[in-house]
Amino acid sequence: MTIMQIIFLITASVTLFAALMVVSTRKMMHAAMWLILVLFGVTITFALLETRFFAIVQLVIYIGAIAILIIFAVMLTRRSMNADVPQVNRNWWLVMVSSLALFVGLVTVMSVWEGFFVTARTAPPGGENLVQLGTALVDPNGFVLPFEVASLVLLAAMVGAIYVAAERKEK
Amino acid sequence: MNLSDYYAITPLVFLVCWAIFLLLVDLWIPAGRKGITALLSAAGLLIALVLVLRSGEQVLTAFEGSVVVDGFSVFLSVLFLVSALAGIALAHDYLQRLGLERGEYYPLLLISTSGMMLMTYAYDLIEVFLALELLSIPLYILAGFSRLNLESEEASLKYFLLGAFSSGFVLYGVGLVFAATGYTDFPGIAKAAQNGSLNPTLFLIGAGLVLTGFGFKSALVPFHMWSPDVYQGAPSPVTAFMSVGAKAAGFAALLRVFVVVFPGMSVNLTPLLWALAALTMFVGNIVALVQSNIKRLLAYSSIAHSGYLLMAFVPYGNASVRSDAIAGMLFYLAAYCLTTFGAWAVVIALEKAEGKGLELEDYAGLGHRYPFLAATMTIFLLSFTGVPLTLGFWGKFYLFSTAVEGGFWQLALIGLLTSLISAYYYLRVVVIMYMRPGTPQVQRNFWPLLTSGVGALAVVILGIAPGVLLNLAVSALLKGL
Amino acid sequence: MLSDWLYVGIFLVIATFLPFVAITLAGILGPKKPNRLKSTIYECGIETVGETWVQFRAQYYIFALVFVVFDVETVLLYPWAVAYNQLGLFAVAEAVLFVLILFAALVYAWRKGALRWF
Repeated sequence: MTIMQIIFLITASVTLFAALMVVSTRKMMHAAMWLILVLFGVTITFALLETRFFAIVQLVIYIGAIAILIIFAVMLTRRSMNADVPQVNRNWWLVMVSSLALFVGLVTVMSVWEGFFVTARTAPPGGENLVQLGTALVDPNGFVLPFEVASLVLLAAMVGAIYVAAERKEK
Repeated sequence: MNLSDYYAITPLVFLVCWAIFLLLVDLWIPAGRKGITALLSAAGLLIALVLVLRSGEQVLTAFEGSVVVDGFSVFLSVLFLVSALAGIALAHDYLQRLGLERGEYYPLLLISTSGMMLMTYAYDLIEVFLALELLSIPLYILAGFSRLNLESEEASLKYFLLGAFSSGFVLYGVGLVFAATGYTDFPGIAKAAQNGSLNPTLFLIGAGLVLTGFGFKSALVPFHMWSPDVYQGAPSPVTAFMSVGAKAAGFAALLRVFVVVFPGMSVNLTPLLWALAALTMFVGNIVALVQSNIKRLLAYSSIAHSGYLLMAFVPYGNASVRSDAIAGMLFYLAAYCLTTFGAWAVVIALEKAEGKGLELEDYAGLGHRYPFLAATMTIFLLSFTGVPLTLGFWGKFYLFSTAVEGGFWQLALIGLLTSLISAYYYLRVVVIMYMRPGTPQVQRNFWPLLTSGVGALAVVILGIAPGVLLNLAVSALLKGL
Repeated sequence: MLSDWLYVGIFLVIATFLPFVAITLAGILGPKKPNRLKSTIYECGIETVGETWVQFRAQYYIFALVFVVFDVETVLLYPWAVAYNQLGLFAVAEAVLFVLILFAALVYAWRKGALRWF
C-alpha cells in the first residue's frame, strides 16, 4: 500500500462518515457543518487525482458559495437547532433496503467491466490542460453553445430565486 | 467561426434575446400595466414562430453537428411556441384577477420555451442536459408563482426537489454513456455503438438513468408522484403550459436520444418501456376515476396520455415502424396540445381566487348558463376520451395502430381498455355540466374564451380532416432516418 | 507531482494545529476562577435576550445566492482567461456575451432591490 492509498482511504472514510452524519444528525446547523467536511473530502479526492482545477472549483463553489448558501438557508428556518419532529417516516427501512439493493446491483453489474479494477488514471503532471478547456469553451466547433446556455441557466436561476425569496417591499 | 451556425438557430437566439430584453424592459414598466409585457412577449413569440417556419423542411446542422434543425424540431418548436402563446393568453387576466401580476412571468415563460426548443435541436448529450435545465428552472419558479399561496409554494418545492433529482439521474446517465463510449455527441455515440467499441454494461445503465430522468419530466408512472400535487398547486396557466410543454419536451428528448443514440439498446429496453407504458396508462386512468378536483383530474388524465404516447414508442427499435411511431407521437402531441389548452382555458374561466371554483360540482349547470363554454369543454373531453371523429380519436388511432404494427397488440388492448375507463371520468364532467342544476360563476374575459374557442374549432376541423396535421407530422422527419 | 499538494497539506495541518494548540494551552495554563457572571454567554458584552437561534433575514440568503451565481460565472470564465492569449476576437466576443447575459441578471437584482440590505 502506498502513501497515496493510505491518504485516499482515510479521506474516503472520513467523507463517508461525514456524509452519514449529514443525514443522521438532528441539528440542521450541524448537518450543514458536516456537509462542509464532506465537500472538503471530495476536494481532497480531486487533488489525489491530480486535477487541480476541479479541486479548486470544488473548494470555491461548493464550500465557498454553496455551503454558505445552505448555512444561510438553515438560518432562515425557525427551529434549526431543536428539531423535535421524527427524522424518518414509517417506510425508512424499505428505502434503505432498496437503496442498498440499488448500490449492490450497480456495483455487481459494473464489476463485470474490466475497467472497474483498473487504478484510476490521474491527470498529467501539472494538472489538467486548462488552456485546452478554455479554448474549447468558446470554440464554435467546441462548446460555445453550452457555454452561453449555461449563462442563460444562471440568469434564469438567479431571477427565479430572487423572485421567490425577495420580500415584497412595494406592497 | 461560421455564420451559418447561427443562421440555423436564429429562432432560438432571437427568443433568448427577446426574453432578456423583456426581463429588463419589464423592470421599468409600472405595476398594474404588465399587459404591455404580455403583449411584447406575445409579439416576440410570433416573430420566433415566423423565423421557425421560415427554415421549413430543410435539414441544417450547426456547431460541428451538435445542433440539428430538421422537420422534427420545426414541428415541435411550433408546438412549443403555440403553447407559450396560449400560456400568455391564459395568464394575463388570470394573474391580474388573483393579484399575482408580476412581469417576471413572461420572460421566464420565454426562457422555458427556448429551453424546450433547444431540446429539439440538441444533438449532443451535454446540450440535452442543459436544455433540460433551461426549460425546468423557469418552470420551478412559475409553479410557485403564486408566492403567498401555500399550495403553490408546495408545488414549486416539490417540483424543484424531484426535478433536481431527475436532472441528477440524467446527468449521471450522460456521464455513464460518456464513460462507456468516450463521446457525448449523438453521431459519435452511435458510431461507437455500431463498432461495438463501447462498454455495454455502462451504456445500458446510462440509457436507463437517462430514461428515468426523462420519465420524471414526462410524468411516467412510477415517476409521476409529483405531478398531481404540482398541477393542482401551480397557477392554472402554468399548469397548462407545463402539462403540454414539459411533457412534449420530455418526449422530444426521449425520441431524439433513443432513436438516434440507443437504437441498439431496444432489445434490452423494450420490456422496460412496455411495463412503463402499461403502468402509466393504468395508474393514470384508474386514479383519475376518484378525483373530485378538476385540476387533479386533468393531472391524472395527462399522466394517462403520457402512457398512450409511450405506447407508440415501445417498438422504436423496429426500423420499419419507427417513422410511423414518430409521426403518430407528433400527431398525438399536437392534438394533446390543442385539447389541453382548450380545457384549461375553460378551467381558468371558472376558477376563482384561493382555489375556489375547481371542484367538479362547480361545473353543475354550466350547460344551461354558458352553452358556449360547456360545448367547448364537451368537445375537449370527448377528444381526450378518443371518441370517433374527434382529433383525440385519430391521435389514439395512430398510436394504437403503431403499437399493433410493431407487434405489441397487448399494449394496444390495454390502451383501448383504459380509454374505456377514462370515458367514465371524462363523461362524468359532461354529465355534471348538463344534467345537474347549478349556478356556475364564469369570469368573462376575452383571451381565455378565445383560446378555448380556437382550440375547439381546431379540434373539430382537424378531427374531420386529420390528414392535414398527419401530413405535417409524417413529413416532420428526424435527421438520419 | 503531488509535492505541490503536500505543501498545501502541510499548511492545512499547521493552520488547524495552531489555534488548537493556542486554545488548549490557554485552557491548561490559565487560572480558573469561574463565577456565575463569567460563565454566562456573551455577545459584544451584552447578555443575549431569549433564544440565540432566531430566524435570520432572508436578505442573507439572497446575497449568498447572488454570490453563488457570480462564483459559478468566475469558474466558467477562468479557463477562458487562462487561454486568453490563444483566442481570437470571436472568442472574446463570446465571453463578453456570457458576461452580458449575467449582467442582465445583475440589473434585475438591482432593480428588484435584492442588493439592498434595508
